[in-house]
Amino acid sequence: MNSDFHYYATYCAAILAGYSHGEAQDIAYSDQLVDFCTRTLLIKLKAPSSAATTQLQLELMDARTDRIGLQDITRIWSSFHFLPGDLQATPPKRCSKRYKWKYRLICKPNGELLEPTVNLAKDKSLQAVGLAMHVLADTWAHQNFAGTPSLVINNTNQYFFELFEDGDGYREKKISFRHSVSAPDDLENSIYTNSLYTNSEKSIMNLGHGRAGHLPDFSFIRYKYLPAWGNYEEIIKDNPSDYWHAFTQMVYAMKYLRGGIESFETDRYDTEAVEPYREKIEGIIKKRQPDAADDWKALGKELSGSEPEPFDIERYQDEYTNAAENEKDGTFIGRFILAALAQKSMVTNRIYRSGSKLAGYSIDYQTKGFRGLEDFRRLIQNNGGGKQS
Amino acid sequence: MNSFQRIKSFAAGIFYLLVALALAVVPHGSLDYIYWIISFMMLIYGTRLLWYYFSMARHMVGGKIVLYQAIIVLDVALFTMTIATMEDYIVLIYLLSIYAFSGAIDILRAFEAKKNDSPVWKKKIIIGFIKIGFAILMVVLAIIFRNTDILVYGFAVSLASTAVLKIYDALRETAIVYIQ
Repeated sequence: MNSDFHYYATYCAAILAGYSHGEAQDIAYSDQLVDFCTRTLLIKLKAPSSAATTQLQLELMDARTDRIGLQDITRIWSSFHFLPGDLQATPPKRCSKRYKWKYRLICKPNGELLEPTVNLAKDKSLQAVGLAMHVLADTWAHQNFAGTPSLVINNTNQYFFELFEDGDGYREKKISFRHSVSAPDDLENSIYTNSLYTNSEKSIMNLGHGRAGHLPDFSFIRYKYLPAWGNYEEIIKDNPSDYWHAFTQMVYAMKYLRGGIESFETDRYDTEAVEPYREKIEGIIKKRQPDAADDWKALGKELSGSEPEPFDIERYQDEYTNAAENEKDGTFIGRFILAALAQKSMVTNRIYRSGSKLAGYSIDYQTKGFRGLEDFRRLIQNNGGGKQS
Repeated sequence: MNSFQRIKSFAAGIFYLLVALALAVVPHGSLDYIYWIISFMMLIYGTRLLWYYFSMARHMVGGKIVLYQAIIVLDVALFTMTIATMEDYIVLIYLLSIYAFSGAIDILRAFEAKKNDSPVWKKKIIIGFIKIGFAILMVVLAIIFRNTDILVYGFAVSLASTAVLKIYDALRETAIVYIQ
């Protein structure tokens, strides 16, 4: 998903869930910050680098693809962008453990980690709410890909067709991919940029949806393709429907986080609150454009009566860097960092408990004491004990 | 390319340069070692591909390509071992054929790059034709002058050029397409 959805659509969803303009803006900012909080940024802010929620292209280029390096990549991408759908999933055919662990990292909406992700933000900061909404929304957009470099899971081939509404059915158009760094996606001719094919299992070119290009990030597009893991069964990806589900589920989840709903259940959507704006929202989602920010922004203004400010990565940096050491956790970025550490710790712990070490090791603080990455000590201090990774 | 890959590429470049130098200094004595090293390296690579196919890639759509690659690499590795006992000029023609084959692969990749609107296709196609042309030229010169040393020196030059490219790759800045 792009900033139009992670920032402006989240703002709209937060307003519909009952948050004020200021609160909704903080939530939307935190949601979008997930796509900017790199190790490079955290080092610049002298913040714990383990809280990184994404990686720059440059960081990925230099990332080691040995076991430790891959665990670091997997922790980041599985925790924040490709939440595993079913950590007990069994591939349809008998396979090696190596394959099975990767297969289990495939992202799906309404998976077993969604409820703990949302609950991590319960009674926590608005930053935690925004971060959880990012993860939730990405489960819809990024489904069927895994947040770990893997050719056998994330590869795609030339079988890619865009589907255009045509009467009662759909008209197919072959999608072409290119690997040009500078060329923008050509929506008119269905020519998109994707990552290069390499036959190396662990190449970062095979991380996430790189091989499918930006297609999962466009709300308007429908397409069909053959996922590498799918045993030659084609998948029809209906982004307008998925983005609608993501939006209505965000409204439902945020209503729960605000205290309006008793418990959070997966596969539930607040279509009632969204109904008066359904036509508008569907119009934005289905509009064939690379960036729907202006449309979402206008809707946001209509909903709250105030215009959401544009995202500015530097807005809260001075507050964090100028804060005394013992006050940093109370700053905007400090609260975001705590939420990021909590999410990463939870996902790593669940993956580890499923028997896989693809995201690294996780130990119980209460029985084993503190071990591992020092950055997580601040999470324990804030939680008064718990799990660490 | 990450740091480790750069180091690997640089080390491979230096290794190729040393082998090329050894061939130029001792044209016949070094030859025996070369095809053993080549065949051994291909054997390891082919076995790794085979293992990857059976443990992972057989579940992947289009994964059979990994099996075919493994079989071809292993086949070439074994064939390279079998020609160890043959005359030097046959071995050299074989090695130059592999070099020309890599040129043909470059040309095929150039066509694929062109199809994807990648600007590197021209460079690839030129390199491909140079490799093929060079291999043919060496064989023709060796036949005309009835001197197999020409083939040895030709092979040394091809190795040196590969070495330079590997060192260049290790040192240059790289741009990648990655989708976030």
